[in-house]
Amino acid sequence: MDSSWLPTLLALAWLTPLASFVFILFFGKHAGPHGRFAGTVATGAIVFSCVLSFVAMFGAWLPNNELPEAHHGDHAAGGDHDEHAEDGEHADEADHETFIRPAASPFLLASSGGDRGTISLVADTAEGEGDSAEHHIAPNGKPPAVYGVFYNLVTFGKLKLDISYYIDALTVTMFCVVTLIASCVHFYAIGYMHDELHEPYTDHEVTLTDGTHLVRKGRFYRFFQYLSLFCFSMLGIVIAGNLAMAFVFWELVGICSYFLIGFYIERHSASTAANKAFIVNRVGDFGMLIGMMALWSSLGTFAFGDTQNDQGEVTEPGMFSVLRTEENHYALAPTESMEVEGARVVGEGEEGESSHAGQWLLLIAGVGVFCGCVGKSAQFPLHVWLPDAMEGPTPVSALVHSATMVAAGVYLTGRVYPIFTPEALLVIAVIGCITLFVAATIAITALDIKRVLAYSTVSQLGYMMLALGIGGWSAGIFHLITHACFKGLLFMCSGSVIHAVHTNDMSYMGGLRKKMPITAYTMLVGCLAIIGAGIPTSMYGLSGYYSKDAIIEQAWSFAGANRGNPLLSILLIAPVIGAAITAFYMFRLWYMTFAGEPRDHHRYDHAHESPRVMTMPLVVLAVCAIAIGWSVPGTNLSITSLLEQAQPVGTTPGAEGVLAENLVVPAEQLSHVKAVKIPAGWAAFSAAAFGVLLATIIYLWRMLNPAEIRDSFKPLYAFLWNKWYFDELYDLIFVKPTHWISGLIAKFDRGIIDGIIHGTAATAKAAASIVSNVGDRTLVDGTVNAFANRTWDFGLMLRRLQTGSLRTYVLAIAMGTWITYMLVSFIMVARGTG
Amino acid sequence: MNLQTIVNSLISDTVTTSLPLFKPELVLCVTIVVLLVTRLFPGLNKIPPFAIALLGGIVALWASLPAGGIADWAKIERQELFTGMLTYDAVTAFIRVFLMAFAVLFIVLARLTGLADREDGQDFYCLAFGSIIGMCIMASANHLLTLFLGVEMASVPSYVLSGVVKGRRRSSEAALKYAVYGAGTAGVMLYGVSLLAGILGSAHLPTMAQQLVEFDIAGKLAEGDQYMQVLVLALGGLMLGVGLAFKLSAVPFHFWCPDVFEGASAEVDGFLSVASKAAALALLVRVGIGFGHVPGETPESVAAAARPTATVQLAAAAADVPPAVRLIADEAPVTDGDAETADAAADTGPLSPVRSFFVQVVGIVSVITCTFGNLAAYGQKNIKRMLAYSTIAHAGYMMMPVAAAVALVGRDQAAAGDAVSSMLLYAAFYLFMNLGAFAIIAFLRNSMQSEQIDDYAGLIGRSPLVALCLTGILVSLVGIPPMAGFIGKFRIFQSLVEAGGPLMMFMLVAAGLNTAISLVYYLRVCKTVCIDSPPDTSRPVALGFFASAYVLALSLPVLAFGILPNSIAQWAQAATAGLFG
Repeated sequence: MDSSWLPTLLALAWLTPLASFVFILFFGKHAGPHGRFAGTVATGAIVFSCVLSFVAMFGAWLPNNELPEAHHGDHAAGGDHDEHAEDGEHADEADHETFIRPAASPFLLASSGGDRGTISLVADTAEGEGDSAEHHIAPNGKPPAVYGVFYNLVTFGKLKLDISYYIDALTVTMFCVVTLIASCVHFYAIGYMHDELHEPYTDHEVTLTDGTHLVRKGRFYRFFQYLSLFCFSMLGIVIAGNLAMAFVFWELVGICSYFLIGFYIERHSASTAANKAFIVNRVGDFGMLIGMMALWSSLGTFAFGDTQNDQGEVTEPGMFSVLRTEENHYALAPTESMEVEGARVVGEGEEGESSHAGQWLLLIAGVGVFCGCVGKSAQFPLHVWLPDAMEGPTPVSALVHSATMVAAGVYLTGRVYPIFTPEALLVIAVIGCITLFVAATIAITALDIKRVLAYSTVSQLGYMMLALGIGGWSAGIFHLITHACFKGLLFMCSGSVIHAVHTNDMSYMGGLRKKMPITAYTMLVGCLAIIGAGIPTSMYGLSGYYSKDAIIEQAWSFAGANRGNPLLSILLIAPVIGAAITAFYMFRLWYMTFAGEPRDHHRYDHAHESPRVMTMPLVVLAVCAIAIGWSVPGTNLSITSLLEQAQPVGTTPGAEGVLAENLVVPAEQLSHVKAVKIPAGWAAFSAAAFGVLLATIIYLWRMLNPAEIRDSFKPLYAFLWNKWYFDELYDLIFVKPTHWISGLIAKFDRGIIDGIIHGTAATAKAAASIVSNVGDRTLVDGTVNAFANRTWDFGLMLRRLQTGSLRTYVLAIAMGTWITYMLVSFIMVARGTG
Repeated sequence: MNLQTIVNSLISDTVTTSLPLFKPELVLCVTIVVLLVTRLFPGLNKIPPFAIALLGGIVALWASLPAGGIADWAKIERQELFTGMLTYDAVTAFIRVFLMAFAVLFIVLARLTGLADREDGQDFYCLAFGSIIGMCIMASANHLLTLFLGVEMASVPSYVLSGVVKGRRRSSEAALKYAVYGAGTAGVMLYGVSLLAGILGSAHLPTMAQQLVEFDIAGKLAEGDQYMQVLVLALGGLMLGVGLAFKLSAVPFHFWCPDVFEGASAEVDGFLSVASKAAALALLVRVGIGFGHVPGETPESVAAAARPTATVQLAAAAADVPPAVRLIADEAPVTDGDAETADAAADTGPLSPVRSFFVQVVGIVSVITCTFGNLAAYGQKNIKRMLAYSTIAHAGYMMMPVAAAVALVGRDQAAAGDAVSSMLLYAAFYLFMNLGAFAIIAFLRNSMQSEQIDDYAGLIGRSPLVALCLTGILVSLVGIPPMAGFIGKFRIFQSLVEAGGPLMMFMLVAAGLNTAISLVYYLRVCKTVCIDSPPDTSRPVALGFFASAYVLALSLPVLAFGILPNSIAQWAQAATAGLFG
């Protein structure tokens, strides 16, 4: 198929869930008994989308776009990267001859003999390659992509709002991943939501005031209606060809998550969690709007891609092309309009010194857009909503935590990656780093099985953001994809367990592997994948092994490049410690749930393996969790090579800070050299092994008693158990003062404003009664009565017809004209003479 | 030149030029005659009058459409018809299409609600068509006499229409009040016309504008002892304005409006609020531009003519200033050097006092009207009365861009045309919103015998379609996206920003505040309809298929144009592109 088929295929894949949503919206209730058919429709739609996505991938994308050599999956061959500049057919010919801008290349700095701490490692590793002097990384050009407009919504002068598409390897890959996982979730949900088909449905979690449980109608069809809309919205973000459209679907994803988290709306916890998710996301979106405004006011476009005319000439460059021009060798440079706009915002610099106004504006724009991603991807300090979001049904958690909602934030960060300055990247990295560490520590103490997984999601998202922030674009996105598979798997396994034992609390579980072997062993696969199990420095491992090692390698390379700034080495230490903690709490979870002796025999006896419609998706996802990081045998097709193909324009050589001068974001391929790869690989492996060992000692071999450990670290335990007191802190900082202020304003409103209004009203009433008594009753009525004495009948009719008021009206004509004229002439005379 | 040649040229002008361009009005005249004639003959009176009226309306609508499609509008040259009595340009064409479309919709509505029954159907249609012809004349008036004639032709049938429900006391009372009030304002206006014509020696608007240029208002004001003449001129202008204000129901000449709207039937209210108002606004544009702009004048020519020696350079510089990009805050940075040229580009020329007079009066009246209308609508219990005040408020909104347009004429004629187009756009949206609202009220009156807002409680349960449509229309009247009302308001506000200056900013702020104020009473109805529980005595609401289809046909565009406003906005822009010939 020609690549012109791509938009059609993907648009169809994108719109099919919408069609399913519309169908269920109108006919879902009546489709089969209790709307059972709705599940089939939604599942059919998403499976169809999935098939279309894969057809687009294998039928239209791959035949037309040759893949570059893979680097990340290729653990054994540490070194051969020097031909990187040649690997993309899109890399501009000119780049081979021209030297890149000095600031963009650490190698050039090294040879020019700067005294920065950044150089030594770079130089060392380069020497390790043996061809250091000639080795420089040419910036990559635009990745192959298809951009176009489906429909022009509205054009206001320069502002064009389009429904457009931007399809590159990342888009196609994400389509496949999202639809695949969503398909699994749909199948799984048919089994999991089976209770909702009962009529009436009794919600045991809701106790009414009279002590009975809530009884309501089943909402099976509605669940699938929301799921379809959710998938449509997420695919909308993925296919979006401009930031404005992405934002629209961004908000749609937000509202869908609101519906789904609050699916059990009668449960107080669920409705609160839905509100929390929605409100916290709005906080982030506010930042995103600021970022979008900064971008639009200075660039005048939201488009990702370039609009071309029939001759292939660029007529309207997209924002990436504007910011990273070919003349500038695809290095990020603020445009002139940005300098002007920025100078207006941050003020002019001192005489004779560059103000970096444009850089500041880019920083604002980047951090602003990232704010939205912070909210959606549950990064510190807006991470508080995600753990609460597990109040929704488990399939929703699986979808939200893997392929849709939280993935949206990381995806968008990856999509707009070319606009991030090194400083903005540092912000992203620091936020990611804090998130991964905080969330990991909280997960240690949680007893709710879904809550452990929720915090693990937050932590893993932190890893992704960290990776993106320290220059590991493909590492971060790769982790997003692998994580989507194994986190979807883990959540669905936990749902299967909850389905069996009817509780979320792990202290009532134990020994379940005998009762539900498929769930237990697929979950073990998920745990191994998430901790990144594999043979260190080899090329054999589960999917998480490749992506997590890639992140740690990049962190290692980053710490090396920024040796001058020891504070930044935290960005390496935290993920390594985080890896150990991850391994610990994941295996703690598995041991507590499946291993050992049953803690609650009553629940154990009633437990059973879930129906096949639920276990089959588990197996499918388990296979993905194992194998998604591998390349297809005999070809170089793998996720990593696809990502390499989608590498955002101009980002391969890394970057160097302008505002923060010591900051170096190393090129990603530097992390594949042996000098980085081997120590980083071993560090990651030993951290994970240590975590597993510790969990095994405590929870499997029971050599240490968890209760004793808890007692000896009581303050720390309480701190973690209360989730670092974030909820309490936010309550104290934001919620309480807001309540207080609004209370104050309400008082002001009731006491003073209402007082004034009531006072005025009372005065007016009093005045009116005087007028009415004196003027109307005495004068008017008197006159009319006198008049009526002679022409009684006529007068009665006049009074009935309110002729009095008509007279007033006509008088008003004359008076109105006269008064207006007096005013006007007075003003005119005053002006004319004065 | 003897009488013969005069008569000959008159005939050829009338027959070859004027009459073909007067086709739609002629079709309506013929329809009226046919309607009246069929009644006289026993055989012919079997033909339902509705069929004749509908046929006539559709033919008139067809005749009013430009031959080469909408794109032709931009090419229409300004022409004077009937020896200068009427003017024909794209705005005339637009308003005429608008009025004819309205006429068709209106007679269908009157038929569906049964207001025009078999017995006096002819009368009803004749009156409506007669009034529409008057409105067409208003919209194309080029002479103070045709202006007066148009206003009266439009008004007199309206008086009768508002009392068309015979035997209802309130209805008759409304008609009486309307007639008396109309007569009063007509008298004032006629006096104003005579003053103006007396001072300026003509009643032909372009000639009067030419006379005003020679009148040299600025000079007379400066001299001090001659300003009485100017004051008389201002008095004439104001008195003329009274007549317009009556048609627009602008404060303080709005008193008739609530009483008439409450008394007349809802269908007639729709007629008065949409067609009559649109024609009055078009007339306001005609008057504003007629007095404030001499045809053929451009800002550059004025600037060059006003200060021929000293400012030629500046004027040239002003011409070099790139045209302002609309809708985005992307103005060229104004440095000190540019400020002088900006001054030069500011409103100069002999007619600028006339313009500023017009702008200030219309601007201030529009703000007062808008605010008054919205505030007075608060406590209303009767939906028609409430919508009457809403109509007053909307008249205020729609007068604003006219003021902005006249303020812009001296500086940037393209922008001035844009401002007028924003008014036309709003009027077009207003047709769907208000006719839709009054149609719903009429249908509901037929089935529940009430027009009290309280009786609409819980309508959503009884007739979801009507409740939804009504809510959508009311939301659109507030001006909340994604409804069409938002786009309309947005364009109006844009024209105010475009015009700039303290008065325009004041109007902008006032209009913005008013939108917030109006939220309360519109949404109160929405709440009653959608949330409140129905009263115990509620009757079932059943609309027939055609009634539902009619309501839907008017409501859907309100949503559709809100999302996709481009087509209609382009028509409005095309209609005003050649306004300043």
